[in-house]
Amino acid sequence: MLDVSFAAPALPASGALALLVREGAEPGGLWKAADEATGGAVGRAFAAAEFTGKEGQTCTLLAPGAGLSRVVAVGLGKDAPTERRLEDAGGALAAALSREPSAAVAADGLTGAQAMQVALGAALRAYRFDIYRTRIKPDEQAKFAALTVLTDAADAAATWPAQAALVRGVFVARDLASEPANVLTPVEMANRIEKLRELGLGVEVMKPARMAELGFGALLGVAQGSANEARMVIISWNGGEAGEKPVAFIGKGVTFDTGGISIKPAAGMEDMKWDMAGAAAVTGLMAALAGRRAAVNAVGLVGLVENMPSGTAQRPGDVVHSYSGQTVEVLNTDAEGRLVLADVLWYCQQKFDPKFMVDLATLTGAIIVALGHEHAGVFSNDDDLTGKLLAAGLATGEKLWRLPMGREYDKLLKSDIADMKNIAGRPGGSITAAQFLARFVNEKTWAHLDIAGTAWATKDQPVWPKGATGFGVRLLNRLVADHFEAG
Amino acid sequence: MIPRIDFTGAADGFSVRAVAVRAGQVPAECAAVSAAAGFSGEADTVCDVLGGAGRILLVGTGADPGVADYEAAGAAAASRALRSTELAIDVRGLREDAAVGCLTGALLRAWRYENLFSAPPEDAPRLARVVGITDDHGLELRWAEHAAVLEGVTFARDLVTEPSNTLTPEGFVARLHQLAAAGVEPKLLRGAALREAGLTGLLAVGGGSAHPPALAVLRWRGDGAAPTVAFVGKGITFDTGGICIKPAEDMWEMRADMAGAAACAGAMLALARRRSPAPAIAVLALAENATGAASYRPGDVLRHAGGTTIEVVDTDAEGRLVLADALGWVLREKPAAVIDLATLTGSVVTALGHEMAGLFSNDDVLAEAVMTAGKAVGEPVWQLPIDASHRDAISSEIADLRHCSPLRGQPDACHAAAFLREFVGAVPWVHLDIAGVESRAEASDRYAKGATGWGVRLLDRLVRDRFEGPGRA
Repeated sequence: MLDVSFAAPALPASGALALLVREGAEPGGLWKAADEATGGAVGRAFAAAEFTGKEGQTCTLLAPGAGLSRVVAVGLGKDAPTERRLEDAGGALAAALSREPSAAVAADGLTGAQAMQVALGAALRAYRFDIYRTRIKPDEQAKFAALTVLTDAADAAATWPAQAALVRGVFVARDLASEPANVLTPVEMANRIEKLRELGLGVEVMKPARMAELGFGALLGVAQGSANEARMVIISWNGGEAGEKPVAFIGKGVTFDTGGISIKPAAGMEDMKWDMAGAAAVTGLMAALAGRRAAVNAVGLVGLVENMPSGTAQRPGDVVHSYSGQTVEVLNTDAEGRLVLADVLWYCQQKFDPKFMVDLATLTGAIIVALGHEHAGVFSNDDDLTGKLLAAGLATGEKLWRLPMGREYDKLLKSDIADMKNIAGRPGGSITAAQFLARFVNEKTWAHLDIAGTAWATKDQPVWPKGATGFGVRLLNRLVADHFEAG
Repeated sequence: MIPRIDFTGAADGFSVRAVAVRAGQVPAECAAVSAAAGFSGEADTVCDVLGGAGRILLVGTGADPGVADYEAAGAAAASRALRSTELAIDVRGLREDAAVGCLTGALLRAWRYENLFSAPPEDAPRLARVVGITDDHGLELRWAEHAAVLEGVTFARDLVTEPSNTLTPEGFVARLHQLAAAGVEPKLLRGAALREAGLTGLLAVGGGSAHPPALAVLRWRGDGAAPTVAFVGKGITFDTGGICIKPAEDMWEMRADMAGAAACAGAMLALARRRSPAPAIAVLALAENATGAASYRPGDVLRHAGGTTIEVVDTDAEGRLVLADALGWVLREKPAAVIDLATLTGSVVTALGHEMAGLFSNDDVLAEAVMTAGKAVGEPVWQLPIDASHRDAISSEIADLRHCSPLRGQPDACHAAAFLREFVGAVPWVHLDIAGVESRAEASDRYAKGATGWGVRLLDRLVRDRFEGPGRA
């Protein structure tokens, strides 16, 4: 990840410089210094480009003199910049500096917290997943690796390590979601999670034999069509008071979802490699909490399976016995995520009696038809937890929109031969999926995040390049930091 | 039609009598039979007792019933008494809102549309009269205002049910005489007047049909002492999809694609019948979206009366075009608030199913008021977002806007709302996407099958709570 350091404001003698410009405001000291050192080239170039500092505006000036290779200006807009806008500006400067191995950003005039926010945005945007590209041409190679934040705010450097841990957590999630499914099988994903023990996390991996013994009929039913064995991984971080109940996060980890016997159409099926983005986010979140030594007890549980059609695959019409004891008629094998989550949710509340459970899942296409790609859906049995989640979403830019639940929707799950069926038709499809999950939380405080529309970006956004977003890591880290950490 | 209602103080002499029973409070006279039937007054349960004094329906309301539970109880009683000609409901001892709830629920559940049967089928409902047994003479005196709302709901349901060969735009206009009789002032824009007003969307959408489009403006002056509240309704009397024609399966349901306009008209009827002091106006965009030689095409660009150019992507997204015209038109009235109702998108059905309508708004206060009103009358709505990405999705390469996204599987309900928002200026506005709640596929204890009249009661309640009385907006 981007190597971020902090230094006192002074014009660098060489390399690239980024300037943050408020629209209509007097230019900062470093802006003036750069302009003077280049004989007025900076000011003239920005005037010629009609750069005024409008929000989202950027302008790049190559080799303006004074030893500088590149000067990038990023607009912050008129009003006092919000967290969101500073982060976006950091993202924009990282994008504009992708060819520079290193750069400095002038954060004079910003508080330490604001400067840190810019660095966070830059680090998040500078993510790359190019391990499978063996022939990148030098002129296509993204080089941006180090950012020096020029600030005299003493607290900026002190707060960065926690942010860096958060960024690393986001990248853990993005890396996992980006990996192709022939590499990232359930076993491989479990192996990678085990490596996170080095951060101080507890990691326990449960294999199919043990799950069968416990009676995970719903999860194992999904897994039975694949040559790749299922795993459940329990990740724990004990940074809080000994004996205090943990907070719990549960992720859907379908490492590839063909749909099973209810097979999906071919077009777009490649997207199903990231049908484990919920599990990836839980993993990334746990890494972030450990990385910043969060003062909380937390558990993360991920159910890892591959959903394949085969001679051993489960069929539409099969009835499975879930770990909760409830039976489920599987009418569509492509509604598999909820089956996996059902057993993991039930296990989680039985085993840990957590303060609350939040699950993340790329669960339904219907959530995209409902909300699109800017908000993830949140469903919950608890208004207080929902309010905290919505606020954390606004604070981090990982936005949520609440959708309803209720008895009338729950009724639609009625099966003729089992306790419930696993689908209830297109109308209200995301809601009935949530109602299904609600039957497996044993009335614990719980929220379900349907992230099918937000886990993957089809084009670049300010703080994430095209591809896996790591959606959920920052959101839930913020939830924990704001409400569930001692001190 | 719905049964007529009468009131009496005498409980005897009815062949079918219903009583709402709170959990654990079964009347002593029925204790033995209730115990045998396992009935204790829980919600959604009914005990049907046949005895010497006739048939008694004990209807459970649960332990702590609200108005909605009493409505459900009345409906459950009616659903079991549909084959009788008369149902008496004993509301003695109930609070007035509970009594009204019981009777309202029963009357709405007993609604049916019989106009087109040569002779009613043998198993057709026959319930023609509901009798409220009450000690309170005031209830009958005050019933007129409830009857007004029921008349509005019935009017809307009948319109939604009527087939499109008779309910053409002109047919719809003809039905509005009932409103004129109640004191609503109708005004019609057709042909040249539509062209003059620049209602290009309505003209384009209606252009393919042999039955030309019309804009119906319904005005209720109230006491004239406050700003007007405006309703705007989508009134596509039949929607083939136009050149982007729909699949044949279930296309017949598109006769209900004027349910928004029907709800607005029904609400106006209710306000007029109960002599509401609130000035109100309803603008109904009436057109048939047919496939014809003069149909508008995908790729056409329309110029809205306000100047905005609109690229047509899919002729089956016609509702938002006629609404844009009606919304733009109604702004000249300087309304205090605008609420539009439309069976607009399949997307909202995927999002919310058949239990709630989708709400979109540019004004939190009005949105909250609409949600509160909907909850109070059992027409719940849920707010959905209009975010930046939704607005981006309706940017056009060659015009100011395109009216929908060409991609599939997208949040079309949100896109449609983002589109409509472009035409309401700064006026507080709520858009209700009522696709999915305008009719019910199955009859149940609670609801009749078919048209619901969804929105009439919500709008009436909203006006009552927010636009009447001293604190009105």
